[in-house]
Amino acid sequence: MNALSPQTGPAISVDGLVVKIGTRTIINGLSFDLQRQEILGLIGPSGSGKSVTMRALVGLIPHDGGAVTVMGRDYAQLNRRQRVETQRNWGVLFQQGALFSSLTVKENIEFQMREHLHLSSKLRSDIAMIKLDLVGLPAAAANSYPAELSGGMIKRAALARALALDPQILFLDEPTAGLDPIGAGKFDELIVTLRDTLGLTVLMVTHDLDSLAMACDRIVALANGKLLKAGTLSEMLESDQPWLQEYFHGPRARNIGS
Amino acid sequence: MVALGRTATFQAPLRFASFVHQFEQIVLRAIPIVALISLVVGAIITQQTILQLRQFGVTIFVVDLAAILMFREIGVLLAAIMVAGRSGSAITAEIGAMRIREEFDALQVMGVDPHQALMLPRVAALVVGMPLLAFVGSMSGLAGAAVVAKFYGDIPFDIFTDRLRGAMTVTSVVVGLIKAPFMGFLVGLLASIEGMKVAGSSESLGQRTTSSVVKSIFVVIVADGLFAIFFAAIGL
Ligand SMILES: Nc1ncnc2c1ncn2[C@@H]1O[C@H](COP(=O)(O)OP(=O)(O)OP(=O)(O)O)[C@@H](O)[C@H]1O
Ligand SMILES: [Mg+2]
Repeated sequence: MNALSPQTGPAISVDGLVVKIGTRTIINGLSFDLQRQEILGLIGPSGSGKSVTMRALVGLIPHDGGAVTVMGRDYAQLNRRQRVETQRNWGVLFQQGALFSSLTVKENIEFQMREHLHLSSKLRSDIAMIKLDLVGLPAAAANSYPAELSGGMIKRAALARALALDPQILFLDEPTAGLDPIGAGKFDELIVTLRDTLGLTVLMVTHDLDSLAMACDRIVALANGKLLKAGTLSEMLESDQPWLQEYFHGPRARNIGS
Repeated sequence: MVALGRTATFQAPLRFASFVHQFEQIVLRAIPIVALISLVVGAIITQQTILQLRQFGVTIFVVDLAAILMFREIGVLLAAIMVAGRSGSAITAEIGAMRIREEFDALQVMGVDPHQALMLPRVAALVVGMPLLAFVGSMSGLAGAAVVAKFYGDIPFDIFTDRLRGAMTVTSVVVGLIKAPFMGFLVGLLASIEGMKVAGSSESLGQRTTSSVVKSIFVVIVADGLFAIFFAAIGL
C-alpha cells in the first residue's frame, strides 16, 4: 500500500521552515519532527502561525525557505505527479469540516475515490459506508447534506472523508473546537482508536487542554513563528517558560496531567 | 488559464456531470427572464421606431430594422447582460462561499485543481449556452416587435413575416451568434475569478459579487462595441 519509502525515520521532518504571506514572515525558521504513529499536538497563542504551519505542510501555502521531508522525500523536490501521490498519503480535517456543501455525506467520502481510483460504484459505496461506521456515524447520515448535520457530525463526516483513501498521516485543525465537552472527549478517543488500529500519524492543532492530556503523545509549542518548546506533556508542565507556565498552570488548566 | 489549457489538451477531465448541472443552473434557468426582457425591449424599440417612421410613411421598414437589430445586437447583448447579472453573481457567490468554507482548500489537498474543477464547467456551460440564450433573446425580441407592429403599426403578421424573409440576412444572425460564445466566456471567467478572490469574511463575498456583476456588464458592453468596430472593419 505504501508507495513512499523508507519505513523508518520521522513521518514528517520540518527543518528551518520559512513561510511568508505577502511581505510578512509568518513562520521563521521552524523545525520539528512528526514521528510515525504519534499524535502530536501543535499549540501556541492566537496568531502564532499554527494554521499557517499546517497549511504550508499540506501544500496550500508555498514555502519560502527550509525543507520539509515527508516519508523521507524532500517535498520541494517532487514534481507535480509525485506531489499528488504524496498528498494521497495524508488526510486533512479543516476547522469547519469543509465538506462539499453540494454533495451528500456519502458523495463527499466517495469524492477522492472517484477522482483518483477506478473503482466500481458498488465498491466505492461499500468503502464509504465502512468509513462512516469507522467514525461512529449512523448509516442514515450517509444521504444527508452537510447543512443538515450538527457541528459534531460534520467533524466526523469530514474525518471519514479525510480517511477515504487510507492515509498514513492525518492533519487536524482544531478538531474539538466548537464541540461540547462530551463530544470533544469522544472525538479524542476516536482519534486515539484510529491511531491504534490503523497506525495513523496525527498532527493536531488544538487549544483544547483536555485533548492535549488525553490524546497527544507529544506537544510542539509555537510562538511568533518559531519553536518555543517541543516535548511530552510532563516536560511542558515542568518548563519555566512564562507562556507555557501560564498556559498549563493558568486558571483554565485545572489539574491536567496531575 | 493553465486549467483551460490542460483540459483543452485532454490532460484533465472536463467533469461532464458538473457541466450538465451548471448548464441547467446557468443557462436553462435563465431562458424565461432573457425571453421576457427581450420581448419587452423589442416591443418598446419597435413602438418608438414606428412613431418616427410613420412621419415618412415608411412604417414597413420597422421590420428590416427589427430583424437586423434583434439578431445583431439586442438579443445577444441583453442575454449577456442578464446572464452577467443573474448567473455571474451566482457563480461568484457560489465559488466565494466555497472559499470561505475552505472547500476550495479541501479540493486542493485532495489533489484536485480547484480552478479546473470549479471554473471550467461554469465557463464551458456559458460558452455553449450563450448562443442558445442569444437566439432565444433575438426570437423573443422579434416576437415583441411583431406584436407591436400589428397592433400599433397596423402591419399584419403575414406581411411582417414576408418582409422579414427578405430583410433577414444570414450575416446578421451569424454576427450575433459569433459574439455570443465570447460574451459567455468573458462573463464566466470574470465571475469565477472574482469568486476566487474572496478571502475570509462574508463582507468580502458581498463586495466581490457586486464587483463581479459590474465588471461583467461593463466588459460585455465594451466587447460588443469592439465587435461592432471589428465587423465594420471587415465589412460584415
Ligand atoms: N491569508 C492570510 N493573509 C494574511 N495574513 C495571514 C493569512 N493567514 C494568516 N495570516 C497571518 O498569519 C499569522 C498566523 O496566523 P495563523 O492563522 O496561523 O494563527 P493561529 O496560530 O492558527 O491562530 P489561532 O489560534 O487564532 O487559529 C497571523 O498574524 C495572521 O494575521
Ligand atoms: Mg488557526
